[in-house]
Amino acid sequence: MMRNYESRLMRHAKNAFRGFIVAALASVAFASVAAAQGFKRPAPTPADWAALAKLPDFTGVWEVPMGGPGGGFMLPARPSLTPEYAAKAKALAANAGEDTSSANCLPPGMPGIMGEPYPMEFLLTPGQVTIVIEAFSMVRHIYTDGRPIPSDPDPTYFGTSIGHWEGDTLVVESVGFSDHTELAMRTPHSDKMRILEHFKLTDPNTMSIETTVTDPDALTAPYTSTRTLKRHRSWTIAEYICEDNNRNFVDKNGKAGINLTPPGTKATKP
Amino acid sequence: MKTTWKVAMLAAVLSAGLVAAARPAAAHHGFAVFDTTARKTITGTVKTFEWTNPHTWVWLDVPNDKGGVDTWGFEGMSPNFLGRRGWTRNSLKPGDKITVTYYALKDGSKGGVCISAKLSSGQELVMFGGNPADDN
Repeated sequence: MMRNYESRLMRHAKNAFRGFIVAALASVAFASVAAAQGFKRPAPTPADWAALAKLPDFTGVWEVPMGGPGGGFMLPARPSLTPEYAAKAKALAANAGEDTSSANCLPPGMPGIMGEPYPMEFLLTPGQVTIVIEAFSMVRHIYTDGRPIPSDPDPTYFGTSIGHWEGDTLVVESVGFSDHTELAMRTPHSDKMRILEHFKLTDPNTMSIETTVTDPDALTAPYTSTRTLKRHRSWTIAEYICEDNNRNFVDKNGKAGINLTPPGTKATKP
Repeated sequence: MKTTWKVAMLAAVLSAGLVAAARPAAAHHGFAVFDTTARKTITGTVKTFEWTNPHTWVWLDVPNDKGGVDTWGFEGMSPNFLGRRGWTRNSLKPGDKITVTYYALKDGSKGGVCISAKLSSGQELVMFGGNPADDN
């Protein structure tokens, strides 16, 4: 009788312990997701809002002027690739389509999206800098609330961006990029690619963005470029719905084309 | 003075132009389908001006040698880009007689990429116009 009770108790305890182990393992397994999704930013206080006024004035709409040094239309120097990635880039170039998937309205990822010949707007709120990018109507979220850089984020076009202020410079580190993104034109990256950006005002209406890409698998040296943007106080960010009237395309064989059916004409089967 | 500006602008288009070709290429699409080695002109009547993203489109009715009319399509820069450089959605109106300077489609289709449009008033609207004024 007593034995029975004891063994029942033991069984119960064992089950409970097993359950505890399962729960513990599960919580370890989900910890990384929790870290990414579960960081709880405290509600901003009046002091948090007031602190924003002490930061450099990034407000408004900025664009890289065309043509000049560091201008939007100037491509930065080529990255210095490892032999493995130089071979990959060469193979990509050899099989390159006549166009990229942006002809089909897919936006470029990081760092390319920051080099588009369209303006961007900076919004500073407690714990976050938001960049509204006109090209393809995109948004980057930079968390400045002290959350850690995720160790194993889901790969995305723009990665996960964590920032902090070093004096008057916003320093942003981004990790976790999808295979769609390119390190530079037709240059692939590994899952170890990290992008470090330094945003600062060089005069009241000029912003410098220094971008440094590191990737121990793909690069033999950090790949750095600097863009200079001008503020336009009279501008607003306009809508850019690429799918609205996109007549350009690249097909799955990499062939570029254009749809020349005039508006108001009934589509005819090719 | 005006001519100098125009020449400078065209130079900017054609030098920046081909550098630029790489950038708008990166912006939305490349120039593989266009012959950018030769600029052509064509005169006709505006059928519609599409003020849309990712590109504006000038649709031009052009008389053909069979006594009929062909509709040609010319791709332009985006309304976002042009709107900050003096263009509006009414810059080209249906019925306007204009001359378009363009890079033709390589396959001979009736269209291309618009470089500039000259109105009957003589005013020339350029697609790749320079930098907007300092407004700070």
